[in-house]
Amino acid sequence: MRNLFRAEWIKVAGNRWVAGCLIWIFPVGGIAFIALAALILALSPAARDGFEEDGPSLWTEQAVGVWNLANNPVGRLILLSFTAVVFAGEYQWSTWKNVVPRNRRTSLILFKFLVLGTFVVTAFVLMSILWSLGWGGLTLIAGASYGPAISSKVLSDFAQDYALQAGMTFTATIIGAGYAALAAMATRSILGGVLVGFGVTFAENLSIVAFVIIGYFLKIPRVVHLYRFTPGYNLINITEWVNNNAPSKMDVDVGSGNTVMLSNSLELSLFVLAVWVIGLIALTAYLFRRQDITS
Amino acid sequence: MSDSVAIRIENLSKTFGLRSFRRKRRVEAVKQLNLEVQAGQVYGFLGPNGAGKTTTIRMLLDLIFPNEGSAFIFGQPVRQRHDVLRRVGAIVEGAMFYNFLSGRKNLEVLARTANQYDPQRIENLLEQVGLTGSAHRRVKGYSTGMKQRLGLAAALLSDPDLLILDEPTNGLDPAGMHEIRQFVRELADKHGKTVFLSSHLLNEIEQVCDRVAIINLGQIVREGSVQELLAGKSYLRVDAKPLDKAAAVLREHWSVTPNGNWLTVNADYADSPHVVRRLVENQIDVFEVSIQRQSLEEYFLAVVREDTPHA
Repeated sequence: MRNLFRAEWIKVAGNRWVAGCLIWIFPVGGIAFIALAALILALSPAARDGFEEDGPSLWTEQAVGVWNLANNPVGRLILLSFTAVVFAGEYQWSTWKNVVPRNRRTSLILFKFLVLGTFVVTAFVLMSILWSLGWGGLTLIAGASYGPAISSKVLSDFAQDYALQAGMTFTATIIGAGYAALAAMATRSILGGVLVGFGVTFAENLSIVAFVIIGYFLKIPRVVHLYRFTPGYNLINITEWVNNNAPSKMDVDVGSGNTVMLSNSLELSLFVLAVWVIGLIALTAYLFRRQDITS
Repeated sequence: MSDSVAIRIENLSKTFGLRSFRRKRRVEAVKQLNLEVQAGQVYGFLGPNGAGKTTTIRMLLDLIFPNEGSAFIFGQPVRQRHDVLRRVGAIVEGAMFYNFLSGRKNLEVLARTANQYDPQRIENLLEQVGLTGSAHRRVKGYSTGMKQRLGLAAALLSDPDLLILDEPTNGLDPAGMHEIRQFVRELADKHGKTVFLSSHLLNEIEQVCDRVAIINLGQIVREGSVQELLAGKSYLRVDAKPLDKAAAVLREHWSVTPNGNWLTVNADYADSPHVVRRLVENQIDVFEVSIQRQSLEEYFLAVVREDTPHA
């Protein structure tokens, strides 16, 4: 198992151009931003005053906030592109024919998902460390305070929020990878995988409009509640729970002056995402086990 | 069934659905194919383009699934016992790799995927195929011949008992092709490996294979040792003067075809003294009588022409 994980890791990390442009760009961009901000703060007293006026900086917020980059719709599309290259590449480069006879298809697919999720989470852990340390450097330059002081309560709350955000990124990656894998299996090309994956993600985000229209014509406004079971809504909802300890509430106008409010508990969102993750992985593995590798 | 039979194929069939504009048509790539390869043999698998060679090989490697029938490797059904493929090394339709990784890293990835990673074995194989010096370079910069050599190293990673090689000499220069031929023969003779070799180069097959199967339109049309297939496929070449008189004399006993300045006589080696005697008795000057054997290439072309409608 360790060997299979390592083999997939070499392939994912070894594609430096793709990993660099779609994953390492986050930590590298973060460092560049911090460096630029440090330069401005060092040179401009007005910037230092403005930095202090923005209120106290908290390393807990900085370290956790970084993960929002991956857990928003744009971040999800970037991760989806990355996973599409990893899955569809095997078809486009005709490398499945070398790999498939060497191990069970289910194991190959499961480890692809696992490595992709782990790779992305590793990149963001690195980025959150660099970002929170860098932010500390900025507060030092600006002469501002950088809290909170470390205590067991602070560490425990931080660990919980951090684990949840990291878990969210892992989940978002796996769901994106699921879409990408299914698209790659259908199109057998990187571009096809990316485009179809994007299409499915957009369709998922716009599905609320379809639910409203269907509900309106069927005169069953409650159909719009189906949106609460899409990955996109639940990812945003959990982020909202982590950041504000409250659900992401959406008032949806379903016509005739009626509105429906959508909100999920944290537990329900976690459950829905778990079902999506397991379902997409199982469907991908099932279809891959039955697929002819002809390229 | 024991390890003495490396490959057994029973009634194997595969149909592809090809979608063209507006309609979907079905193509029977392989039809009720039966084949047996004994362990330790170098077995040639010949056929024109689209005959079903690669489809058969892909079914042997569990890359595509048959509609009917079964493939067995060392007695184990490939579909049910995927693990038996650990005893197989293969190159299918040319060697393909991750272009962004080095040759060495590519081998590491494949070895680890099979859970058989041994860095020393990788180094030995790189040396064996002459790629030690360029193993650190990205495969993107490799020539076709270098990729084929790396493909051979990849096929040998697990020290397999059975090698399935689909066009292994593509892109190699004559010296490289000769090396591969020797290498393949050595694998069978010195190490007892079985080699299932598909190639368009019939000269190559003739030189290296113990047995040969010819596949056309998804079915085996001939099977046997090279000697068996070409037995009785010889003729005499006769250079005599006057040629038209010689032809007339020989036609009394054999089928004769004028061929420019000489005659092709449908007779075998044992008939050559009688041919000479008949000519001399009729005052015909004989300059040369030689036995000509049909090459595998000529035999293959004749068989395919015979078995293909409107070929």
